[in-house]
Amino acid sequence: MVDLVFEIGGPQGGGIESAGQMALRVFMLKGYRVYGTREYHSNIIGKHSYFNIRVREDRALAPNLPADIVVSLDAESVFTHFNDVGEFMVYDTGVLSKDIDSIQSMSKYLKARVKEELDANGVPHTVDGVIKLLDKRGKKTVGVPLRSLLKTTAERAGVSLVSISRAINTIGMAVGLSLIGVELEHLEKAIELFFAGKQKIVKPNVIAAQVAYEYAKENFSSIHRKKMPDGPHVNPVKPRLVVSGNDIVAMGKIAGGLRVQTYYPITPAADESLYLEKFEDFPLTPEAAEKLGLERGGIVVVQTEDEISALNMAIGASLAGARAATSTSGPGVSLMAEALGYAGIIEAPVVITLYMRGGPSTGMPTRNSQSDLLTALFQGHGDLPRIVIASGDHEEAFYDAIKALNWAEKYQTPVIHLLEKAIANAMKDLFNPDLSSVVIDRGKIERNPPIPFPRFKYTEDGISPRAFLGDTVVWYTSNEHDQYGRRNEDPVERIKMQDKRLKKFETAAKEIPLEDKVTLYGDPDAKITLVGWGSVKGAALDAIEILKEEGINVNYLHLRMFMPFPSEYVRSVLEKATTVIGVEGNALAQAAQVVRMFTGFEIPHLIIKYTGRPIFVQELVDSVKHVLNTGDKKVVLSLGQ
Amino acid sequence: MASEKVRYMADTWKDWCPGCGNYGIITAVEMALKELGIPPHKAVDVGGIGCSGKLPEFLAINGVHTLHGRPIPVATGIKLARPELTVLISAGDGDTLGIGAAHFVAAGRRNVDITLLLHDNGVYGLTKGQASPTLGLFIKTKALSKPNINSPVNPILLALASGYTFIARGYAYHVKQLKEIIKAAIQHKGTALVDILQPCPTYNNVYTKEWYEQRIYYLDEEENWNPVVEKPEELEKKMEQTIAKALEWEERIPLGILFQDKTKPEYFERLKIRIPFIEDIPPYKQPIDVNGKPIVDVAQIFVDKLVI
Repeated sequence: MVDLVFEIGGPQGGGIESAGQMALRVFMLKGYRVYGTREYHSNIIGKHSYFNIRVREDRALAPNLPADIVVSLDAESVFTHFNDVGEFMVYDTGVLSKDIDSIQSMSKYLKARVKEELDANGVPHTVDGVIKLLDKRGKKTVGVPLRSLLKTTAERAGVSLVSISRAINTIGMAVGLSLIGVELEHLEKAIELFFAGKQKIVKPNVIAAQVAYEYAKENFSSIHRKKMPDGPHVNPVKPRLVVSGNDIVAMGKIAGGLRVQTYYPITPAADESLYLEKFEDFPLTPEAAEKLGLERGGIVVVQTEDEISALNMAIGASLAGARAATSTSGPGVSLMAEALGYAGIIEAPVVITLYMRGGPSTGMPTRNSQSDLLTALFQGHGDLPRIVIASGDHEEAFYDAIKALNWAEKYQTPVIHLLEKAIANAMKDLFNPDLSSVVIDRGKIERNPPIPFPRFKYTEDGISPRAFLGDTVVWYTSNEHDQYGRRNEDPVERIKMQDKRLKKFETAAKEIPLEDKVTLYGDPDAKITLVGWGSVKGAALDAIEILKEEGINVNYLHLRMFMPFPSEYVRSVLEKATTVIGVEGNALAQAAQVVRMFTGFEIPHLIIKYTGRPIFVQELVDSVKHVLNTGDKKVVLSLGQ
Repeated sequence: MASEKVRYMADTWKDWCPGCGNYGIITAVEMALKELGIPPHKAVDVGGIGCSGKLPEFLAINGVHTLHGRPIPVATGIKLARPELTVLISAGDGDTLGIGAAHFVAAGRRNVDITLLLHDNGVYGLTKGQASPTLGLFIKTKALSKPNINSPVNPILLALASGYTFIARGYAYHVKQLKEIIKAAIQHKGTALVDILQPCPTYNNVYTKEWYEQRIYYLDEEENWNPVVEKPEELEKKMEQTIAKALEWEERIPLGILFQDKTKPEYFERLKIRIPFIEDIPPYKQPIDVNGKPIVDVAQIFVDKLVI
């Protein structure tokens, strides 16, 4: 079975993004599932960035190392990723003599570690030294004269060298693809797809790919892999897309009927809003258009002055009857704390999509983390329940984005939809989502409301019918209030109103099906249980398969809804296991604390990672075995640059 | 015109201090809405926190009392979703020029069709009289133990710099004149500021009724006063005369419409460039399902992500 990792690195702004995007499309055209993890700095140009692309037949949901092939477009990539190499290292012969100390963009701490390793192996601190070390280790090192191939490309395309300098990424990537036996025609098609409509860019890049393939054929035929077999999805029945986590949430929101989105620019959330903006005027399906007599829909996307405004504005839009949401990251959601409570007390439906990144404070803006779970659950003062859902992959994120909009309106509450950088920036292939099972549920809406309107009427389930501003006279206040929304501090009424608000969440806990809250993957009778959430899912699903092959039966409890929390079910699963290991991407083991709070079960072993990098499959496998062998209570992971 | 029986004032007891400027302001609002014939369910008053923020509670139109400093974004959200509504904001000088100053500036940049009634009394009344952003330097009101060591912000100048397309000033005790100014502000298509000078008889013993009434005068009583920008080329000159009037304070204080720019497009005009039908079919009016089913197909919209 094909399980391949293709890694490509180079300077930010140097076309790494495009190279990765093209490579993803190549493997999709070849019939595979793909997962592309992106690592980059908070920097516009010059710092190191890279793509780790996982290619599999059935499921690609997590990055892995070692990589079958590492394509290094510059010297820094060679120094940074030589330990990632499984089989091939493609490098630029033009940088062979480059000394590690001459690379300004590289972290001094990484330099020191690399130098120590090179010294220990008796090779110089140059690219050449690294290549010698890799040769010694039996890796296939593939030197490519990138500049000279670029020159050939420019001559053949009849354009200036400067105008196509970025095609150097295509050349490096193409050499890499040819080495692992991928046909040129797929790359040509991928270039056309990625640069659709930009013929001026397509042509030289196609020529660059051809030049690279010719060069590889002439020079590396002895180490070349044989033709890569086609994957199972060469001719998919349904359209296939390649999307980032940001993209897929935007798609979910449009499918879910979002009509007002507010945001303030922040990494790694902003791309979602920009993508919504790109498609703010969108077509309805022909069937819907015919039924509604309306061809198009439109989303108002507002870039606000700050995140405080973003959430307050979304609340305003929601009171007037539009499905509304905002999208942000840790620093932004911290600013939203007061408005979150406001939405809570006035029972305004609103969705906050929260992309976690390394914190606290500015932290590590472009790096992954799962450290905002406690913030999502507890931020804001007062007795303030809310719905908190965390997605584990792109597909979950799509349906969760729709469900979050439903829950917000149905239970008239803020919903926090948790995602993380590892999902937001990861590129995933996807079959066109099936919407036949999707329901749009706007909850209790009074279409012919009396004047004035008892907006906060006491009801059995705690949910009062809603009326929109403009359909009648409605009163809202951030103060405690009576059934008409008028300020009221009467002690007896206060109990009733507070209880009414809490009651809604009991109703939600009852009505929301268990499968939306938690999933147990693998053998339900396994005696070893991993507990995780968010992007841990991808690595955990692979890990339980690998462990099973090695004779270790492990299942994975994937937590999705943290409020209302499926306490009974989670407790029953955990109590059944003899060994429970919590796996998550933060230093406090936040989900483990939440599990203890809601179930009383203390998870005895923890595997955690807070380097800002995602959990790689193999390091999870190794650490689970380590815990089983040693009984260690805590393992801290650190793989990946 | 709305019928005589239509009520704009709620029967809630108004818990403001005797003599509070808010009684004048709320009456002016009531009269303005009545005379413009805006039905109560088509009008919204969005309040901040403090004595000013209680206005929505005492009116019988839609009322949205918000957080301290945040009525502008909430009002903006309401208007964007349902532009047919007349959206007013009742907020204090602390709300708009202190804690919510970022929103005050941003509102001017967007030019959404909302009307900001700025209750300008120089003090934080409900927390017992601390200095607000409009209290003058070295002024010591009776509630302050020491003189104020912060300079005041000039709301007129700040609004002008921020791009407000309608800037006026009223006086809380001149209900009839204030009503006319509020009517003009509501009828203006774009963000309108009415800076309402308002004595706080309880805490501001410096900017009193007497102090104001010795200084205030109405611009429309002046010869040749014309604050309206009809063509872009008039902008600079009109802004200059507004700045000159905005700087008058110690001796004379001008009231009335200080500036109105009819050349700048309102926010929906700008949105229409991006979504042509958005004003006719604004967010609240758009269907999002047919019998509970989504009305879009992902692969039909996001064609840039297709790999086929």
